[in-house]
Amino acid sequence: MSVEATDHYSNCTHCGFCLAVCPTYILTGDENNSPRGRLRLWSEEAAGKIPRDEWTDFYTSECVGCLACETACPAHVPYGELFEHTRHDHVATHRSHPSPAIRLAAHAVTHQSLFNLAMLPARMMRNLGLTPHPFLLPGKPALLKSTAGYARELMRAKKPTGPRVALLTGCLMEAMFRDINFATVRVLIENNCQVITPENQTCCGTFQEHTGLEGVEALREQNRRAFGPLDVDAIVSNSSGCGYSLAKTLAPNKPVRDVLTFLGDLDLKKREPRSTTARLYVDLPCHLVHGQKAPGIPANVLDATGIPWALAPNAKDCCGSGGVYNLDKPENARAILSAKSAFLNEAEGDPVILGTANHVCMMQWHSAGATGLVTRPYEVKHVIQLLDPGEGFALTPV
Amino acid sequence: MLRQLQSLITRGRVLTSPAQLAGYSADGLGYKRFMPDAVVIPADADELVAFMRGAKSVGVPVILRGAGTSLSGGPVAAQGGVVVHTSSLKRIREINVEGFWCEVECGVALNDLDAALKPHGVFYPPDPSSGPVCTLGGNIASNAGGAHCFRYGVTSNYVLGVEAVMLDGSVHRFGGPAGGHGPWREDWKRFMIGSEGTLAAFTRFWLRLLPLPEKVWTFRATYPDLRSIEAAIHALVAHPAYPAAIEMIDPRGVAMVEGSQMACGLPKGSFMLLTEIDGPAALVDARVQSIAKLLRDAGSDDVVFSDDEPTRMKLWKARKAAGGLMGQLSADFVVQDAVIPKRALAEVLQLVYDEADAAGIPAVNIFHAGDGNLHPNFLFNSRKPGDLEKVEHISKALMKRVIEVGGTLSGEHGIGNDKAAYMPLVFGPDSMRLQLAVPAAFNPAHQLNPLKVLEARRFVA
Repeated sequence: MSVEATDHYSNCTHCGFCLAVCPTYILTGDENNSPRGRLRLWSEEAAGKIPRDEWTDFYTSECVGCLACETACPAHVPYGELFEHTRHDHVATHRSHPSPAIRLAAHAVTHQSLFNLAMLPARMMRNLGLTPHPFLLPGKPALLKSTAGYARELMRAKKPTGPRVALLTGCLMEAMFRDINFATVRVLIENNCQVITPENQTCCGTFQEHTGLEGVEALREQNRRAFGPLDVDAIVSNSSGCGYSLAKTLAPNKPVRDVLTFLGDLDLKKREPRSTTARLYVDLPCHLVHGQKAPGIPANVLDATGIPWALAPNAKDCCGSGGVYNLDKPENARAILSAKSAFLNEAEGDPVILGTANHVCMMQWHSAGATGLVTRPYEVKHVIQLLDPGEGFALTPV
Repeated sequence: MLRQLQSLITRGRVLTSPAQLAGYSADGLGYKRFMPDAVVIPADADELVAFMRGAKSVGVPVILRGAGTSLSGGPVAAQGGVVVHTSSLKRIREINVEGFWCEVECGVALNDLDAALKPHGVFYPPDPSSGPVCTLGGNIASNAGGAHCFRYGVTSNYVLGVEAVMLDGSVHRFGGPAGGHGPWREDWKRFMIGSEGTLAAFTRFWLRLLPLPEKVWTFRATYPDLRSIEAAIHALVAHPAYPAAIEMIDPRGVAMVEGSQMACGLPKGSFMLLTEIDGPAALVDARVQSIAKLLRDAGSDDVVFSDDEPTRMKLWKARKAAGGLMGQLSADFVVQDAVIPKRALAEVLQLVYDEADAAGIPAVNIFHAGDGNLHPNFLFNSRKPGDLEKVEHISKALMKRVIEVGGTLSGEHGIGNDKAAYMPLVFGPDSMRLQLAVPAAFNPAHQLNPLKVLEARRFVA
């Protein structure tokens, strides 16, 4: 542990405000399973006051990484940074053992072309409406055309003249959920934004941050080269977790914005109400509100969907997704989701739509229905999909 | 001991590894660490009762703990032993709007109760700053106060009944939803409130509620000197509007807020005063201008006020943020909790400045001025030899003066182990003897939370 990191521990006054917002403390009632508890374990071990202990490893592994504690912390302890540092340290010193599948996936996302190819069957299954896995969302992703290629086509056809926007296309987003990327491109261009998709961009590194695996700095460096020199009005991401990670990478020189936050500054094209009975419940991803510190998804953006909306209950609380947390700690993730998603069973509306701004949260929310936590029909959508003019937009005259 | 604990706690959890105990080694007074021998987390009240029934045979100190936010070293294992964490007992069992009472388990967080009460148009007035996380159990054990207790009074004014578990496992209800003594001739619930875990474990409470005020106005004023803010405080206390809260931050606290991300544009070097009036709309609206005039007449040319909820929250921002901001200056701090007659405010604050400056220890004052409840925060580095001794020296000098001016040791934080050494400064031998006799009547061996409140309370197995 570095000197700087151990100094940051001393910012913690032990006030306990983080307990009230920590999903694992709420779940277990065990103070060690809270930010205050973990900080105490890490600092006492760093100071040699307690021995290295498998319980420290366990409580570290239990953290979802939602960063709600950072928002709650009056002393501004940089918990996320300390947690990431500790997680990497635990993997490097064999105190934590990511599964072979996680290691393989972490390696795969660093080779986007191969990853896109490997995920082709999954895209095909989504296209065919075959979604056997609880995390597999329905959708119609392009099988071969990339987001970059699609953006170039649409830019040529529509010739927008407004703000220049560089889009992070992401790894899993591109390989599995590029239908959301395509919708993002359409919404930006329909709102007169010029969309640029830097060819040499790569995974933001969130996967490595979440798993503690090596390689994050190489990814960050590649993205610095890809996005750093760009002369654009904004760099945007449609995944709050990826956006948060890229923001850390490019800080302080290039601010990164969530695409919905960016759209909130524009006079947005509005969608026609799709039905009088539809209701949208908006969940706010942790890495949007606690990571990027955004106040939420702008109201004018949600209004532009044309659907009556309300924030989901406890919208700023974690859904249990946590990057790969729902794979690594499925029981905790399910318990967190169970409490969070219960309202959907009674929620008014037909259809009921759960809208969010992170594909990983979307997978988690989808699993609530697929695994029986929510027993009535509902849709899970990225809010950008609810602003989408649709595939026919490409054919409409300029 | 592990086997004994595991036989008592079968559905909850028993923690014994050093890395499971470290998180329980301190309360909100983070620098003072006491490693417990074990921690148990009972699954529910029945298991807590079972534990208490068997605790004597375990033969070590028993320390009840809620969220561990206290600032006096209360729920910590000062003499080792088992910390009993009541985090599972967090059910709001009943809200009786017609009767203006509610029944809650001891582990319910204060603000969670507030949120549950609000739709019913009622509220529970005590409001310590740790509201988002502190538990009702901890509030009642320390007789917590808060900013609004100037008008509304502290926790003891709102406890109708306590369900308590003795060390023999017997369960007793002192008072109840109807308040009063309950099935006892004496009002034993008064013994329980503020007993700091020295008499019994608590499982649930019946609490008195009030109707939510129809209208609230919040005022913030800044003053160039102590004399003028003191004049404003004295005038407010005597004003017929009877403010709900009168809070103050000194220039060192203002500088801390303004140097942080929570800056809200307070003038450099100013003393900040925050006050609030509430009640029927017609009544409080009619008093707004006279309060504003009072604040200006005392010497402020910077008075802002609002009845708009978001704006009011902004006015409260500096006061709410100040406590936690301390961590940005120093994670180690001691906060005193003395209560003084208000006429001595300027004199005692000056003593704090003089003593702290002489010792080179930063001191920040953020406190409940209306009640004369001081909270000087002394910031130090626990890793720097001599710093803590300096803070203890200042604290003793402060306490001596507090007694001289007719004040007392603690307003709302409790005594814990942090202030137990000051007790003889405030109370004479006869008083100390009688105060010791109370916990001794409930647990003669002082097995419950030893070394707290009175240093003589040492557990002997």
